[in-house]
Amino acid sequence: MTTQLKVRSELALTAEGVEALSALRNEPTWFLDLRQRGWRFYEEIPWPTGNEEEWRRTKLTGLDLADFRLPDSPVSGLRVASTAELPAHLQEELATVESAGQLVTQDGAVRYRWLDPALEAKGVIFTDLDTAIREYPELVQRYFMTDNVPVDANKFTALHAAFVTGGTVLYVPRNVQIELPLHGVTTMRGGLADFSHTLLIADAGAEVTYVDDLVSADQEASFHSGVVEIVAHPAAVVRYLHYQDWNVNTWHFSTQQAQMKRDAQLTWILSSWGSRLSKINLEMQLQERGGHGELLGLYFPSGRQHIDHHTLQNHIADHCTSDLLFKGALRGRSRSVYSGSIKVHPHAQKTDAYQKNDNLVLDKRARADSIPGLEIEADDVRCTHGATVSKIEPEYLFYLMARGLSRYQAEQLIVTGFFEEVLNRVPVEGVRRKLEHVIARKIIGG
Amino acid sequence: MPSELVIKDLRVKVADSDLEVLKGVNLTVRQGEIHALMGPNGSGKSTLAYAIMGHPHYEVTEGDILLDGESILELEPNERARKGLFLAFQYPVAVPGVSMSNFLRTAVSNIRGYTDKPAVGDKPGVIGSNLMPMKEFRAELLQKMDEFHVDRSFARRYLNEGFSGGEKKRVEILQMAMLQPKIAIMDETDSGLDIDALRIVADGVNKLAGPNLGILLITHYQRILNYVKPHFVHVFYNGRVVMSGGPELAATLEEKGYQWVKQQFDEPALVTA
Ligand SMILES: Nc1ncnc2c1ncn2[C@@H]1O[C@H](COP(=O)(O)OP(=O)(O)OP(=O)(O)O)[C@@H](O)[C@H]1O
Ligand SMILES: [Mg+2]
Repeated sequence: MTTQLKVRSELALTAEGVEALSALRNEPTWFLDLRQRGWRFYEEIPWPTGNEEEWRRTKLTGLDLADFRLPDSPVSGLRVASTAELPAHLQEELATVESAGQLVTQDGAVRYRWLDPALEAKGVIFTDLDTAIREYPELVQRYFMTDNVPVDANKFTALHAAFVTGGTVLYVPRNVQIELPLHGVTTMRGGLADFSHTLLIADAGAEVTYVDDLVSADQEASFHSGVVEIVAHPAAVVRYLHYQDWNVNTWHFSTQQAQMKRDAQLTWILSSWGSRLSKINLEMQLQERGGHGELLGLYFPSGRQHIDHHTLQNHIADHCTSDLLFKGALRGRSRSVYSGSIKVHPHAQKTDAYQKNDNLVLDKRARADSIPGLEIEADDVRCTHGATVSKIEPEYLFYLMARGLSRYQAEQLIVTGFFEEVLNRVPVEGVRRKLEHVIARKIIGG
Repeated sequence: MPSELVIKDLRVKVADSDLEVLKGVNLTVRQGEIHALMGPNGSGKSTLAYAIMGHPHYEVTEGDILLDGESILELEPNERARKGLFLAFQYPVAVPGVSMSNFLRTAVSNIRGYTDKPAVGDKPGVIGSNLMPMKEFRAELLQKMDEFHVDRSFARRYLNEGFSGGEKKRVEILQMAMLQPKIAIMDETDSGLDIDALRIVADGVNKLAGPNLGILLITHYQRILNYVKPHFVHVFYNGRVVMSGGPELAATLEEKGYQWVKQQFDEPALVTA
């Protein structure tokens, strides 16, 4: 089935576009207000000039929002009743994970949704944002871009608020533990701007794993400005696996923040493979005593890709631990930037925080920058950080080749071995396998 | 016809430098023969081993290395391995995050030709395409691990990472047993071993020795030659083979020490007025 989407001129990224979009979706006024607030901040906040520390190594040369338009919406005609009716690449993507629920979003609208009825009966909400605005307005009003990622966090979050479409709302009620992961796949076609949002709320004592995949539908340039908001209430256990594999012509901006309440546990895995340029901001907020957060990252730019991660382990409360490990390999003429900070507030005594970034540069013209940092205002804490940038050890290569491995096979083992420390800690077997495959693909520059 | 490794007037220097390490080496090793190569520290034994295997840090400036009459100088290390050469490293390398069984399965699959035909939709040589079947591989690996006294748990461990000196050497022998080379160069496989480990390694070598394997056993010590009986002994000094003989040469060397060699083969000291 092919459905031609009409291009509507009013769905440009403009003030009129904001209203047209909201009207098309029959949204309540409170949501239109939020969009308009987003637009105002977007206009107020200047474009980064490159003088800001955060933008010194990442330039937006070549980005013109006029190149992208909003998808005509709603795309209800594309909704299907079974995964078999989805395009092959989406079926494959879904098949990577054995899950208890699936949500496929294309061009900002739901194409497929399924949730294990047993979970539905327990009150688990797993739906798209548009449905949530209509059916669970209190939930959205309480959590959507309020005190987690504020609308005016940066220019891209403001733009996101103005044009947000699609996205996932996942709410797990108190003490409900979901064994299998839930799986979201977001895809878009070339020429479009995607503003999908992930809102993940685990109530007290709940447990959930969410696999959030972003993949392109074709090879043409597109634009994504996303926001991820996670709240782990007391003693909740959350695993969030974010996988970005857009085509290499796409612009990717993502602001993600997790709030962790008392004794909450979060495993947060971020992997960046695709995009022309990625600028990702992550903040883990340890707001109440006893929280434990694990933040793992993998990235592998090739060709002329540019991938920039900025992380903040924000220790507000005492007796919390955070453990960050970001590993990246680089091919071709690609570039990566990692900057990270551990911030320990005056009351956050007995903080135990760790931050490590390792880079493996495979080609002469690739370049990795790593800027770790600490900002500590409490005196009884343990904080460690470190960064490495290295090349493939020629002795490893020779040893493996002397045993009969081709150069490519040897590199593949060495690079996969380099990522192993992180791969080992990926809690979903299917995702782990998928990561191994994408690493193999990136080694040949794909 | 047995395979034959011929090293002819080989001169080798350290790449990107003027340091000549091998100064005209001549040596022939055939399948079925055990050669011991003995020489003092720094005489160039490991360099010879590396040059045979094609290490990129060393540059052949003159002479040739032939396997069954064909020069292998232009071949990559993996192509040399494929032709039946094996190097047991003096210092086996620990490769982080690479499991031994994963690595060895790929190596064995290449050497035995499984990967020659790529699986449908795969790139040639890509891991995952047409490897030796897992079950078959595992059965063979476990059997050989038992035979060569390597604990089965090592299959899942990362290659040489945290292995003791003796364990590394045993794992080198295990790899050799799995890859079944025609000619093996064993660079000080006996060094750094206690007497029990030495016996295990020597037993391993003896198990593998036979009409289908030629061995060049590089060593400092007579010790291993109490267990492994060489057919030929060569003395290596200052980048060359300076003496060759039968097993008795090793005994003479043990008795008289390298000083005896130095006196005979050192360039005459400059006489200063
Ligand atoms: N890559 C290199 N760069 C600089 N010098 C080198 C290099 N490789 C070898 N050499 C030098 O060449 C000489 C021979 O080294 P080699 O390791 O081959 O000796 P060896 O006979 O194996 O010694 P040992 O018995 O200690 O193992 C030494 O003086 C060594 O320092
Ligand atoms: Mg040596």
